[in-house]
Amino acid sequence: MIKLLHVEDDADIREIAQMSLDMTGEFEVVQCESGEDALRQVQDYTPDVMLLDMMMPGMTGRQTLEKMREMPHLQEVPAIFMTARAQQSEQDELREIGASDVISKPFDPMSLADQIKQIIGKA
Amino acid sequence: MMSKTIQNIELKSRVALLSGTSMAATWYFIAKNIVTAPYAELAAVLPAIGFAALLPTVVMLRESKRAVRASRQPLSQRLEVLSKHVIVNVVDNKHCLAEVNEEFEKATGYTQEEVLGKPVSMIYFDNHARKDADEIRTGLMQGKTWQGETALRRKDGTLLLTHTTVIPLFNADGSWGGSISARTDMTRVNQLMAEQETVESLDELRDDIWIVDAESERFSYLNRAAMARFGWDIETYKEKSLGDLADGEAVQMIAEACRRLEDTGETLTHFQLTLLGVPFDASIKFLKVANKKNRFLIMLNDISARLEDESRKSEFISMVSHELRSPLTSIKGSMGLLLSKAAGDIPEKALALLEIAHRNADRLVLIINDILDLEKISAGQMEFDLQDVDLSELVEETNRANAMLRQRFALDIRLEGTDRPLHLQTDPNRVIQVLTNFLSNACKFSQPNSRIDIKVDDLGPDIRVAVRDEGPGIPAKDQHKIFERFADLENSDRTAKGGTGLGLSICKAIIEGLGGTIGFESQEGVGTTFFFILPKGHFARDAQETLMRVAS
Repeated sequence: MIKLLHVEDDADIREIAQMSLDMTGEFEVVQCESGEDALRQVQDYTPDVMLLDMMMPGMTGRQTLEKMREMPHLQEVPAIFMTARAQQSEQDELREIGASDVISKPFDPMSLADQIKQIIGKA
Repeated sequence: MMSKTIQNIELKSRVALLSGTSMAATWYFIAKNIVTAPYAELAAVLPAIGFAALLPTVVMLRESKRAVRASRQPLSQRLEVLSKHVIVNVVDNKHCLAEVNEEFEKATGYTQEEVLGKPVSMIYFDNHARKDADEIRTGLMQGKTWQGETALRRKDGTLLLTHTTVIPLFNADGSWGGSISARTDMTRVNQLMAEQETVESLDELRDDIWIVDAESERFSYLNRAAMARFGWDIETYKEKSLGDLADGEAVQMIAEACRRLEDTGETLTHFQLTLLGVPFDASIKFLKVANKKNRFLIMLNDISARLEDESRKSEFISMVSHELRSPLTSIKGSMGLLLSKAAGDIPEKALALLEIAHRNADRLVLIINDILDLEKISAGQMEFDLQDVDLSELVEETNRANAMLRQRFALDIRLEGTDRPLHLQTDPNRVIQVLTNFLSNACKFSQPNSRIDIKVDDLGPDIRVAVRDEGPGIPAKDQHKIFERFADLENSDRTAKGGTGLGLSICKAIIEGLGGTIGFESQEGVGTTFFFILPKGHFARDAQETLMRVAS
């Protein structure tokens, strides 16, 4: 099972992602409703992959990842950002702070699992 | 002087008349009393008449001749005095140059031999000046002196602007004798006045303007905006140089840019810099003037407001993008899961409705993408990922990626010109976006089993890609708005055919942003060809300027 940490403030999107990944039977998903919530949850939890929304109230996805990268057990964990179509420069910036890739919103729930597996396969 | 001469002649003539009359009377008296011959009366009267009439006449003639001789004294003797100060020429009654002085030669570049005897019109600058001369002559012939500006032509063809006084000359018999012109060179005076106007205009500009001596780097001019920024007055800045500015980094950038201009021989450069904490667009022009010191004209345009505006627009675009896409994620996501029966089987009718909803959610996503693309272009924020691209390969890749279109519409799509590599610097994803749009439109508007041709042509410095269909063509009355946003075409069912109404306007913005041109040819009942032409080379600043023009 792939342990996935999902950080997303929108409850509906959390539910859709959960259903989508549950369909494959390959993922164990931990849901976080904010960056602060995520930092609490990872204190004693190491996921195989992290899926973060970019724009959230409070800590943004970028700020959340920067904090996570300060934790030794999370430094090498692949991180995928969910974002509206980011320009090349924005994607480069995200990669500089340790993002493995970007998935555009709205995502296709039928192919989300495959996209994630492909990204962590490359990482 | 002339009237004095005439008065002189008149006086002498009157004296002569009195003398003659006296002598006539005396003779008559004497002759009458002495001569006793039969013709005594005649002998007395005739000589008396002679004395009375002839003497004044002789005196008048003599004095007049003397006066005429005096007036005919070579003007060169008089001109000698004026020669040292003014440009002088004499024109005879045949409108030809009769005399010119040394100043005339110096000012016009003509020698005496080249102009004497020639029509004076040869030194007029243009037809306008000739027309003015004709009008002046009319007044002169009426005895009027004329003063004003005249435009002359130097031997080298350049303009010699003069302030001129023209005096008429008349012969002894009162006939027109020509004119004498005395001129001062106004060209330099006008240049100085124009320079003064230029300086006053520069002072009114909001941009900071500097003029810096190329050798010493001292300021020879700062406009009002620049003086205010540094807190200097005219007396102060005349003593300052670039090195006195309290921003070493900015000064170094400017100095290096100036040196590059001197070394490369280029005359103009543009770049951005921050000076004293303010962001500027800087332009530097190298002013090389023969026989004068070289200088740099530096213009600084404060772009802090523009950058702030761009930042606000960027934030807005990001926010709108997120706010629209998040609910769409939920809508599309949940419908997609339902359609895949993640929540169990769905009745047939419900499934059909779900498909309609899902399809339109997809369409909404496309519209949002297109609108945000256009907004990025308008805000000058669309970035291009320039790479070395083989356009032939790109076209083939696009065709393969849209194989479903071919199957869905049962079309015969043929490629031409993609059998050899054609390299250019461009953004491959954006070119694919444009090509896909062309192909999609061609497929949608073609009849089943018809043909679509995609042709790539090497035009030397550019490459042309054209997509031709055998569809109904675009009505002539609609062709002018084909690249406008949401252009509604009559009899076009956009809902049935799909599309957002923004695709071609985005294609136009992308191609122009990449430094190219876009167009189409269409004939009703025959078909339509959409094409774009892209430069092979790196378009760098030209495309940036195009992007700014597209965004405005």
